[in-house]
Amino acid sequence: MVDLSIKFGSLELKNPVLLASGVWDFPYAKIIDFKRLGGVICKSVSLKPKVGNPPPRITETPCGVINSIGLENKGFENFISEILPEARKLGTPIFANIFGDSIEEFKKIASKINGVEGIEVNISCPNVDKGGENFGGDPKTVFSITKAVCEETELPVIVKLTPTAANIEETAGAAKEGGAMAVTASNTFPGLVIDIERKEPFFKRVSGGLSGPAVKPLALYNVYRIKNAVDIPIIGSGGIAGYKDVLEYLIAGASAVQLGSIIFNNPLAPIEILDNLQCWLKENGCKNLKDVNKK
Amino acid sequence: MAPTFRILPVLENKKLGIYSKITLEDERICKYAECGNFVMVGLQALDPYLPRPFSFLEINKKSFSILVKVKGKGTELLSKVEKGYKIKVLGPLGKTFCPPKRGVLIAGGIGIAPVYYQSGWMKGGLLFYGAKRKKDLIFTREFKERGFEVRTITEENGGLVTDIVKKYAHELNGKQIFICGSIGMIKEIKKILNREQIDKAYAYIEKRMGCGLGGCKSCAVKTVEGYKLVCKEGPVFPLKEVDLG
Repeated sequence: MVDLSIKFGSLELKNPVLLASGVWDFPYAKIIDFKRLGGVICKSVSLKPKVGNPPPRITETPCGVINSIGLENKGFENFISEILPEARKLGTPIFANIFGDSIEEFKKIASKINGVEGIEVNISCPNVDKGGENFGGDPKTVFSITKAVCEETELPVIVKLTPTAANIEETAGAAKEGGAMAVTASNTFPGLVIDIERKEPFFKRVSGGLSGPAVKPLALYNVYRIKNAVDIPIIGSGGIAGYKDVLEYLIAGASAVQLGSIIFNNPLAPIEILDNLQCWLKENGCKNLKDVNKK
Repeated sequence: MAPTFRILPVLENKKLGIYSKITLEDERICKYAECGNFVMVGLQALDPYLPRPFSFLEINKKSFSILVKVKGKGTELLSKVEKGYKIKVLGPLGKTFCPPKRGVLIAGGIGIAPVYYQSGWMKGGLLFYGAKRKKDLIFTREFKERGFEVRTITEENGGLVTDIVKKYAHELNGKQIFICGSIGMIKEIKKILNREQIDKAYAYIEKRMGCGLGGCKSCAVKTVEGYKLVCKEGPVFPLKEVDLG
């Protein structure tokens, strides 16, 4: 067996394959063996419950999916009392994902979260009116939020970046300066679908967040750019559908990856990817993941 | 019961009017499928990316079928699958329910699929069924064999299923009613039933889904109690609870 374990910052994970926030729920545990995963990131949690956006919330695009969910969640208290205890039973590292529409909200949530391996900070949701990508596009705000969160918690902090920031090297750098242990590059890409019959945008909030294989080259490029500009571990996320995509992310500079909407297309993708990654590494004479970059 | 994910070969793809009836074999899915359940079905491809939710149509000990109507690229490709072609299936999904022994079923177009599946759990009743053309009306003989009185109407003869529901609404009092069709049709029937003060009615709600398991929160429907997920708390909802806009 090839050693798939990874270390970055203070974290040690058995492999680099994580499940992204917002795509999975507990019924998936009946299909995916969560114990085999490197970890999972829980659905974004806000201080107070959010009802989410009015439907329709999802539609398909070529090799992709665009959503306008709007961070529907039952709020922080429910996360602590209901979701986290259930998540702990999955037998895999658990990361909370927190969302606030002000720095104060981020601080309040961060100060109360414990019993997880780390906190991913969502400053990049494209589907909300306040916060979200409005925060993630501005390096100063990224710095302020990251710093505020890091001051409230001893847990490793991962900042999930906006893919469309004018300069993602700067926002990644701001996250590092603020004290982030790693960055996730990146969230979904804002995009538009037009309903031809109604002659107006398909989503009531006009734009949605695009994910799936359609965005992989874009997200991969973000990883590459950050790697070459900022010394911070990167979790690559965007359009991973197979083990070769994981290899591309690792070679581009990611330490780990997150799988997202591919589990809609194929719920067994995470396990197939891990199996195929093992085989590829073995066939290519790699003893561990560091060897992936050996020429 | 826990859903299962399978890659299954197509046993048969048979044309039924404008529809394709696709039969697949999986003993486990058949064993645990109950009334109200559906499956997510997708091709082994990244484009189309998302699987589509389909009600069961028929279920036997080892095989089950779904009914496909071409609406877009995904259903067009699915409608053409040949025997032996392997497709992805996740299920059974959704909230099950116990149907009445006898009741009223109302179907428009491809809405016939879930109500036909439901009728398999019933001893009979009354079916209102509308389609565009006479040749698109399917399973009418089978409904009769299952003890249903069948009342049909077609658009080519100038009528909608809502017209016959309106005509016979006085007969529906006290009966449980299940409706599957377009949102416009369900809204119209809701108005008719409200006028007759009939409240034991339920609607099958169709929404585009991502995962089918409650993970992505995509298939929200507005109800009197806020948004609910069709995949987890549906697909069947009390008609008075859903806000159809």
